[in-house]
Amino acid sequence: MEFNTLRRDGRTDAFFDGAATGTLLIGRCADCGHWHAPDVTGCHECGGERLDWAQARGTGILVTWATLHPRNGGEPAQLALVELEEGPWLYARLDAVTAPRENLALQAHFLPQPEGEPYLVFRPS
Amino acid sequence: MTAVVAGLGMTELGRVYGPSPRKFAAEAVRRAVADAGMNLEDLDGLLVSHGMGGSPSIELADVLGLRDLRLLSQMTSYGATAGAMISYAAMSVLSGAATAVACVFADAPLKPQQSAGAAYDRSAREYFGYGGMNAAHGFRSVNAYYALATQRHMARYGTTSEQLGAIAVSTRQWATMNPLAQMREPITLEDHQNSRWVVEPLHLLDCCLVSNGAVAVIVTSADRAADLAQPPVHLWGWGQGHPGERRERGGEFGLVTGAVSSGATAMKMAGVTVSEIDMCQLYDCYTFTTLVSLEDYGFCAKGEGGAFAASGALAPGGNLPVNTGGGQLSAYYMWGMTPVSEAIIQARGQGGERQVARNDVILVSGNGGLLDHHATLIFSPHAKGA
Repeated sequence: MEFNTLRRDGRTDAFFDGAATGTLLIGRCADCGHWHAPDVTGCHECGGERLDWAQARGTGILVTWATLHPRNGGEPAQLALVELEEGPWLYARLDAVTAPRENLALQAHFLPQPEGEPYLVFRPS
Repeated sequence: MTAVVAGLGMTELGRVYGPSPRKFAAEAVRRAVADAGMNLEDLDGLLVSHGMGGSPSIELADVLGLRDLRLLSQMTSYGATAGAMISYAAMSVLSGAATAVACVFADAPLKPQQSAGAAYDRSAREYFGYGGMNAAHGFRSVNAYYALATQRHMARYGTTSEQLGAIAVSTRQWATMNPLAQMREPITLEDHQNSRWVVEPLHLLDCCLVSNGAVAVIVTSADRAADLAQPPVHLWGWGQGHPGERRERGGEFGLVTGAVSSGATAMKMAGVTVSEIDMCQLYDCYTFTTLVSLEDYGFCAKGEGGAFAASGALAPGGNLPVNTGGGQLSAYYMWGMTPVSEAIIQARGQGGERQVARNDVILVSGNGGLLDHHATLIFSPHAKGA
């Protein structure tokens, strides 16, 4: 799979600290414990303003998917929307999924890159 | 008293490169005023919306030399903005806050040496942070997100690419009869299937055009419109729906949209049911948007939009003419003003070769975000209850 270079932005660095050790960190409301995707900034469940980084199990199911066909004829890539066991949906890529279907069981992996941060992908569990 | 659309102004639309969005907008308002048989000085309200370019805003009033306005705002509900503007203008007229309100949309995202898709693309060499990872993965335009929505509907309900293709084909059939349409060559289901993937399951012919230009309408009272130049188009009802769909367990992304509540509100206000709608002008940024909107309005059961589209109902001669000017897929992409403009043309009986005989009740939709925001208008050539 081909990726462009991904760099830190100073706001979501904790996510990449986790990724460096193979750990999926997502948001969790400090007040009610509701889980959120890493780019969510406030809790829609209770209105809480503070989200902590918390370790997710890294397991989930496939909600839906789509396939990118590069115009230059390169290898297609499968985009996905994945529901984590904790509840949030994450946008990511699928890796090594030959027959995508609703609710396919998945496991998060991080793909190290020659330059920049690793990428989150999901493989069949 | 009822509110009506008394004027429609459309600039040249499509690959038109000279004017800025502001200049397009001013031209559309001038044309709408002239179409109504009014003067610019007759306007006491102006509502402005823009597309990708971030312009124009309320400075448009100065550009047009409008003075002593009683209503002036820039509005956005994304693709639902046209419906939002027209309903706000109608309420202003009905309440007495204003008497004649121009509502305009303008955009000019196309550049002479750029593909249409590139106008909405966010490609870069480097991406930043967690949010940047989505773009780096390939989520670089709304195409990818609508592909996810479409695929979810396909997986859940068995909707097929051929059924989406039926929408592309019927919409193009209508466009062949619209001199304003950018794409007027007939297409076949085979053409649809053979068109390249934009993002699978969306073929190129599942995706709308990109257009430069502007469209404006004049909203006023039925009384005021009585001695104006055009047959008034009565606004029977309006509604919005913003479900606040969450991207988490239980989310209905791709399955259900705000058309459910938006349509129910508008039809209740209009005093009609779906069986009384003669034709639809739907926001068709993708063939899938047409399909899911038809389901959510109740023209067919949930999950049966594909079969409904493939039945031929939407095409010329069908039971429910849909996007009779060619829609955003084949005519022009002026966000919510595409369906609004064709509804006005059809309500006035000015559709020429494509005019639908039964035009008593016309449903118009707007869809914005990733199926997140919805607006509905119900238009008629007749006064409500007449």
